Formats: sequence, C-alpha cells, structure tokens
Amino acid sequence: MTTPNKTPPGADPKQLERTGTVREIGSQAVWSLSSCKPGFGVDQLRDDNLETYWQSDGSQPHLVNIQFRRKTTVKTLCIYADYKSDESYTPSKISVRVGNNFHNLQEIRAFSRRLNMGVWNKQLELVEPSGWIHVPLTDTHKKPIRTFMIQIAVLANHQNGRDTHMRQIKVYTPVEESSIGKFPRCTTIDFMMYRSIR
Amino acid sequence: MEFGDSACFTLSLLGHVYCKTDRLAKGSECYQKSLSLNPFLWSPFESLCEIGEKPDPDQTFKLTSLQNFSSCLPNTCTTLVSNHNISHRQPESVLMETPQDTIELNRINLESSNSKYSSLNSDSSMSYIDSAVISSDSVPLGSGTAILSKQAQNKPKTGRSLLGGPATLSPLTPSFGILPLETPSPGDGSYLQNYTNSSSVIDVPSTGAPSKKTVSRISQAGTKSVFSQSGNSREVTPILVAQTQSSGPQTSTTPQVLSPTIAAPPNALPRRSSRLFTSDSSTTKENSKKLKMKFPPKIPNRKTKSKTNKGGITQPNLNDSLEITKLDSSIISEGKISAVAPQIQAFTLQKAAAEGLMSLLRDMGKGYLALCSYNCKEAINILSHLPSHHYNTGWVLCQIGRAYFELAEYMQAERIFSEVRRIENYRVEGMEIYSTTLWHLQKDVALSVLSKDLTDMDKNSPEAWCAAGNCFSLQREHDIAIKFFQRAIQVDPNYAYAYTLLGHEFVLTEELDKALACFRNAIRVNSRHYNAWYGLGMIYYKQEKFSLAEMHFQKALDINPQSSVLLCHIGVVQHALKKSEKALDTLNKAINIDPKNPLCKFHRASVLFANEKYKSALQELEELKQIVPKESLVYFLIGKVYKKLGQTHLALMNFSWAMDLDPKGANNQIKEAIDKRYLPDDEEPITREEQISECYPYESVGTDESQESSMTDADDTQLHAVESDEF
Repeated sequence: MTTPNKTPPGADPKQLERTGTVREIGSQAVWSLSSCKPGFGVDQLRDDNLETYWQSDGSQPHLVNIQFRRKTTVKTLCIYADYKSDESYTPSKISVRVGNNFHNLQEIRAFSRRLNMGVWNKQLELVEPSGWIHVPLTDTHKKPIRTFMIQIAVLANHQNGRDTHMRQIKVYTPVEESSIGKFPRCTTIDFMMYRSIR
Repeated sequence: MEFGDSACFTLSLLGHVYCKTDRLAKGSECYQKSLSLNPFLWSPFESLCEIGEKPDPDQTFKLTSLQNFSSCLPNTCTTLVSNHNISHRQPESVLMETPQDTIELNRINLESSNSKYSSLNSDSSMSYIDSAVISSDSVPLGSGTAILSKQAQNKPKTGRSLLGGPATLSPLTPSFGILPLETPSPGDGSYLQNYTNSSSVIDVPSTGAPSKKTVSRISQAGTKSVFSQSGNSREVTPILVAQTQSSGPQTSTTPQVLSPTIAAPPNALPRRSSRLFTSDSSTTKENSKKLKMKFPPKIPNRKTKSKTNKGGITQPNLNDSLEITKLDSSIISEGKISAVAPQIQAFTLQKAAAEGLMSLLRDMGKGYLALCSYNCKEAINILSHLPSHHYNTGWVLCQIGRAYFELAEYMQAERIFSEVRRIENYRVEGMEIYSTTLWHLQKDVALSVLSKDLTDMDKNSPEAWCAAGNCFSLQREHDIAIKFFQRAIQVDPNYAYAYTLLGHEFVLTEELDKALACFRNAIRVNSRHYNAWYGLGMIYYKQEKFSLAEMHFQKALDINPQSSVLLCHIGVVQHALKKSEKALDTLNKAINIDPKNPLCKFHRASVLFANEKYKSALQELEELKQIVPKESLVYFLIGKVYKKLGQTHLALMNFSWAMDLDPKGANNQIKEAIDKRYLPDDEEPITREEQISECYPYESVGTDESQESSMTDADDTQLHAVESDEF
C-alpha cells in the first residue's frame, strides 16, 4: 500500500498490570543478548527506566533471549521503541520466536491489533513507533502460549541502521484468578469479598 | 511457690513460657491457677481464650478474696505503714509499653487491680495491684502532701510509666493516710519514683521478672497521656498525679482516660477497666514483655530501698497517690476525707467497686471468649450491651469490628473500625484487621491513608507494615507488598498474621513453595490461626491435591465453625473430589449460616449444573442475578446452562452480557464458550454480532468501551475466520 501509517503507541503496561489480569514475570526469567555495548546491556533493558536502553553491537539479527525456569504461560510482550529518540536505531522489523531451547525455536505470528498495517505479516513491522508496542503472544487457538523460551529477533532497523536500541521490554503472563472453581474472574466486589479469606 | 503474694503473676508468666514452648496443657493450667489466685488478672484469661481453652468468665471473675479486704480494713495509716513494711516487696514488673500505644501506657494492667487490697495484707497472697493508674491530674485530693509533684521528676518522656502501685485496700486508706506521714521529702524518694524510673526508660527485662524489681519503662513515643501512676511526671502530658491525699483514702487521681470522656471519678472506674483491657490486649508487642508492675505501697521507707534500682528518683513520694487503683478512684470520688473512720466506709466502697469491676470483667470476658471461639454473633451481642463509656473505647470496638470481620460483614466492620480510628487514632492494635477489611472492600484510598498513618505513627509495629503491605497488594504491586510483609515479620517474628499475609502474596505471585513455608510458619507461631490453615488448603487446591485441601479446610473450619466462606470452599473441594452430595450439603449449610454470601449460591448452582440439574441451577442463578446483577460470572454460568439445554440464543445472549460486564477480563473461557458455538455454523459470527449490538442490557458498564471491545472482539473473530479461510 501507499505510505504506511505510523505505528501508534500502545497503553502504558502499568495500566495493564493494574487491571489485575496480567502479571509481569520478566524477573522469573534469565535474559541474554546476542551482543551489547558495554554499559548498555540487559540491566538497562530491564530497569524500568525509559531513558536507558540496550544497544547492540554486532551483526543482524540482534537477539534478546528470555529463558524461564519452567514452562510459563505468556500472554503479551511489551516493547518500548521510540523513533524520535532513536532514529536509525529504532527496530523496524521484529520477529518473535518461542520454543524449548535454542534449537527448537519457532516463529510465532505476532500482530498487533493496533497496527493498521501489517496485520497479516508473520513478523512485527513497526513504522516510526513512538511508545509501547503490545505484542500478543497467542497460538492458533488464540490462547496465550506456554513456553520455556522466547527469543525476540530484530531483523531490520529504520533507515537500515546496523545496530538497534531497545529501551524496555516487559513480559506478561495472565493471572489465574482461580480463587476456587475453574471459573473466570469475578467482576463485582460483592463476589470478590467472599472469594477468599485473608 | 516461693513467690507468695506475687504468685499469680509468676504463674501467668510461667503460663506464657509454657505456651511458647508448646506445652499448652501446662500453660493453661498455670493460667487457671493464676486466675484463681487473682481474679483481677485479665491477661491470663485472654491467653487462655487465645489458646483455645474456654474459661468460664462467671467462675473466673468473682471476688473471693473478700476476707482480704476485711483484713485490710483495720489498718490505719500507722498500721499501714507497718504493713507496708512487711508486704512491701512486691515484685514489680513493669509493663512495657509498646511504643505504639501511647495510651496503653498503663499497661500495667492493672491486673491486679484490686489485689491491692490483699497485698496490703502481708498475708494475703493476692497480687498486687498494679495500678498504673495514673491519671492523675485530677484532683489532688487530700491534703497537700504531695503531690507528688513528682511529676516533675519523672521523666518527661512518654512516660507511660506504669507503675502499679500496690494499692492495697487499705492502701487507699493507708496510702493516703501515709501520705501525710511522709513528708514529701525527697529523701523518700518514694519508691515510686523509682518506679517511674525517673527518666530513664528502663525496659525491664520482661518476662520474667517476677522478681521484685521495679522497672519502669517508659515507652516511648506515645507520649500520650500517661497513666503513670505516680506522678509520672514524666509524662509530659497532663498526667497529673494526683496525689495522695491525706487521710482520705481517696486517691484523687482520676485516671486519665484514654477516652476523652470523663473526668469524673465515677467514670474512672469503668474507664479504667477499659484501659486496662486495652492495655492488656495490646500486647506489648514489641517487647513482648509484660511486666506487671507492682507498685509497692507507698511507704516511704520501703520504697527507697526497693527502688533503688533504678535511678533517678526524684520524686517525693507521690506514689501513694498514684495508686489509683480503680477502686480507689471511685472511692476517691467519693471524696471522703477523713481519717480513720472512713476506712470502713472506704472498704465497703472498695468492695462495691471491686464488685462492679468484676461484673465488668465478667461481661468483657464473655465477649472475648465468644470472639475467640468464633462465636461472633454472640460476641457482638454481649459486647454491644456494655455501658456506653466502655463500649466507646478502642479495645471493645476493635473486638466488635473483628467479630464482624470474621463474619465476613465487611461493611459493618469497616464502619466500626473507622469509629475506632476516630476516637482513638493512636491505636495500632487491631488495625491490621481494619486494613484487611478495606482490602476486601477494595477501598484503596482509605487503605492507603490508614497505612500511611500507621507507619508514620509507629514504625516498629507489625500491624503498620501489614497495613502497608495490604495497600500495595490491593494495587497489585505484589513485590512491594511482599517486602512490607517481610518487614512486618522482621519487626515482630511472633506475629502470625504477617506470615499469613506474606503467604497470600506469594500465592498471588505464583511462588507456591514460599507460600507454603509462610503459612506453616504462621501455624507454628499460632496454631489457632485459621487463616493460615485456609491458605494451605488453597495452595493444595491450586495444585489439585484435593483431599489435602479438604483436610486443611476442615481444620480451619474446626477452629472457626461459622465461616460461610470456608464452608463454601469445602463444598467446592468436595465437588472436585466427586462427592457432590456432600458438597451440596456443605453448601446448604453455608447458605444457612450466611444467606448473604452470593458465592455460596453460585457454587451451589455450579454443582447442580455439573450434576445436570439444570432447572434448579437456573433457579438458583436467577435468584443470584437479583442479588448481584452486575456479576459477569452469573451470566456466564447461565449461558452455559442454556447451552446445555439447547437454547442457544439465550445462551449467546447471556454470554454476550457476561462479556460486556467483563471487557478487560479477557475471559478466554467466555470467548471459547462462544466460539465453540460457531464452529459448526459459519454464519453465526454475523448473527452474534447483531445480537451483541441488540442486546446491550447495561448502560452502566462503560458502554462505549464495552461496545468497542465487543466489536473488536467480533472483528477478531471474523478476522480469524477469514484467516482460516485463507490458510
């Protein structure tokens, strides 16, 4: 199509957390990068600070590997990318792969409802993003995937840049509100009051 | 035992020791003995209730030591003095005040409030009354002596010194009588002063010390009114020591009331009681030292020697005045001032007052016992019948609030607790229950205000940190909540509730092993903490170990038999174990106990649904719909029932309502339930969309938003459908 529209920013993931439907579990995983510039590594990627970022220092594709201790249900990935501050370092094509280990990764279809374009691409295409990108990780039945490992691969950057900046990544798992019974969550306080003894 | 007069305190402490080392039987035996020796003691009674025994308040709180009174009678001042000399040594234990309770200061709980009478008599074995009473200020009765201006001496700081004065019955008389004898010479130093520890806060090494040592402790912070008896002058607050007064037995001190009420002496008595209990109940957490302080009668001579331990004595005798035992105050109020003659009057007055005190203790005891056996409705009933100046005190209201909380009537509980905050906003004990109530009601603003206030007021109390943890847990910031609960545990490792709350947080962050450990710790600290048993049951339920879960829930239920929530959970677990009949019975019981619990009905409906009794399930659900019209789960279940009954349109309608009510819930289950309907029929999606737009029953739930999300959901479904066509 013609000029692709810019990728609109998504909601702040903190809002998502407050709904109580998801929980951030990045802390339960081991993070590793394919390459990084000293001082711009995993810590900066996971420090909840949008000013600091990871800067890669190798050849494409740049990879972020997230490995969990046990098979975890993952619902959403949130990536913060900002074209205005990163320009040619901003990723433009991202592929998300899941599997059991490095040899077993499979790309999953990642699309964002918020994107006007590129819904059907196998990879996530970003056009001048300016905020949080929510990447739902679902399988063909629209359920959150269960996996040991997630790999985020940056395949291309804006303006054909070599290295990439990524400011923050968060991983969310659905909260199982299984207070009792295999039912979905309650919505009213009246039910919730009686749901448990604290 | 060799402790003689102070045997009751010793026994009580021994009871504590036994309980901590898990020898509950011996512990309860010690407590019983202690109570039989001195029926004025509240804390052994409280401990007995808490370990699960059921002491009978009527039996316990009755005056049997009347003879002591009479024996005290004849003492006049002079005699008194001699008596004092003899009996003086009472062990003094000081009650440590926990920093948080300013008011509690008095801790000394007057445990033996009346024992004073007996104590005076050397032969009596009664305990001494710790009268911490303080209150002073009022009226300096009697002649001047004293006054004990001691106040001055005592330390300014928080002074809550609890000085129990051994007010013996005669004390009233004698003490007052003595006063004039003693000159307020500094030399006397009055032991009292020593008690008051002049200035330094001496923490008495609690427990234990039945030894005669006067330790006065000044608790810190509170700085609130102090009940110091003897002039605790230390306290900056107005305490005032009343002082002793001359012959009249009255001690003028009107106890400072914690509650703003009254100054009138007549009220003193009742108030004092509540204070007493309050202080008692507020277990000195921090130090967990409850030392009963006995205040030796004011005998100038003796005092000096006994008290020398602690420093500073600055005050002149005053002590006597301080004794304020409750009775005294009442007596004082009478204002009888005369010398010997009134002693008899004093005695009768005291006896009457003691009787009054006993009946109060009986009532409170019944209420507390009912609460500890989780007989909550009765507890509320009993405690509400207390006279209003007792009712409107922190302790009583907290117990009532807790009773409502255990009944799961959180609105009522919240109302009562906010009343407590209003009248005693320095009170920290019992506030953890308030914070959990607010958590259940999801009142985040109130909860964060509460937690801020509490942590500002007292950083060393586990309740404050529990409240803070609850606040963050409500905001779903579980990591921070975990940190705060751990802090609460650090502040007081013997506080079971902190462990329980921490366990719940770990469950929410899915760290089930740590959660198990926490709940087990809670049970180790207090085996009657049914919340921890419940927590363990929940974890096993999550891990699908249903029989273990049932066992633990049952244990919790044994401790707290009236909890409908527990019964409901047991019912669900039984259903999971395929014992559906039993499940239904249990759920019926739950509904009978508490018809307002909607979850019980919901689960009953779901059990009926699983057993294919669709009509009854539907009926149940319709009733539920009336009670809680906005709950998406109800519609979801109704939808499922209709689906089973083959009424697909109704089913779809209900599913769409359920989704409306829960737009962010991302209820995959609902979507799945709907999607399944679509598989066989391709044109359904369109029909569904139409239906969605048609049946929007609720305007309330952010219609626009929900519409949008439903529409987008519809889009998604369509897209998926399209997609599947493509690939």
